Amino acid sequence: MENNITRDDLDQIEAGIRRKYSEVSKSPEGQFQYPTGRKGLEALNYDKTLIDKLPDAVASSYCGVGNPFSLGKIHEGEHVLDVGCGAGVDTILAAMMVGPNGSAVGVDMVSEMIARAESNLKMTSMKNMSFQTTNSENLPFPDDTFDVVISNGVINLIPDKEGALAEIIRVLKPRGRLMVADQIAVVSVEKDIQARVASWFQ
Amino acid sequence: MLQKVGFADAQMVAETGFNSSPKTKGTLFRAAKAANFSAEKGKAQGDPLSKYQEFFDETYAQGALDRKTKHLIALGASLAAGCEA
Repeated sequence: MENNITRDDLDQIEAGIRRKYSEVSKSPEGQFQYPTGRKGLEALNYDKTLIDKLPDAVASSYCGVGNPFSLGKIHEGEHVLDVGCGAGVDTILAAMMVGPNGSAVGVDMVSEMIARAESNLKMTSMKNMSFQTTNSENLPFPDDTFDVVISNGVINLIPDKEGALAEIIRVLKPRGRLMVADQIAVVSVEKDIQARVASWFQ
Repeated sequence: MLQKVGFADAQMVAETGFNSSPKTKGTLFRAAKAANFSAEKGKAQGDPLSKYQEFFDETYAQGALDRKTKHLIALGASLAAGCEA
């Protein structure tokens, strides 16, 4: 599917994504077609006992497209990676689920989103988690590190999806689980490359 | 694509109703890393022997010369070069 997309096109896509998400890092309100913030979390049936523990300022930065935790239970003591964590709301919820003997790490390529995630983290008392700015095609972790990888609305934005998924499977432990909420194209992709680049993150 | 990089049990589970545009649907999916996963096995096309087989098949494929003629030329060339095997 990546056929004929040039390096310049990829740079243009990445610049567009960085531009949009540096805005989203301030507030996701009005940036998406679906509810964001606490309304989004409630509409997607996140565990109420957990979301009630989130300070309002943290919950307001949520802009996920689904509830990856609805795909399976996260157990106490597990290690979770959130790929494209954005403002880190899912990462914080994962850290609550795994408890003090487990850990959660969030990575995102947009440094403004990681800055927002770190400021969100400071508003909680969580100690078993961290955030890193990194490209998801090159995850800075050894093989077989995580029990679970979650991701919410991000893989659709990555031009080299196969490279990103190969990295995810590398850092997952054997029998590790991938749980993803994402946007999937329901009509054929734009034939014209320029139109595809322009509409990359519709 | 999940299977291509070696994931097992890939399942599309549900739609979320949170759609970014009329062209895309919010979707939940999951997969697991097999207990016996190996990155090399995941990339069978990277196997050097299968690459050699591809080269071999391509070389002897029917072209301006047919397969039998190509094999006879190769046999003649190898005998002339002193190959014994």
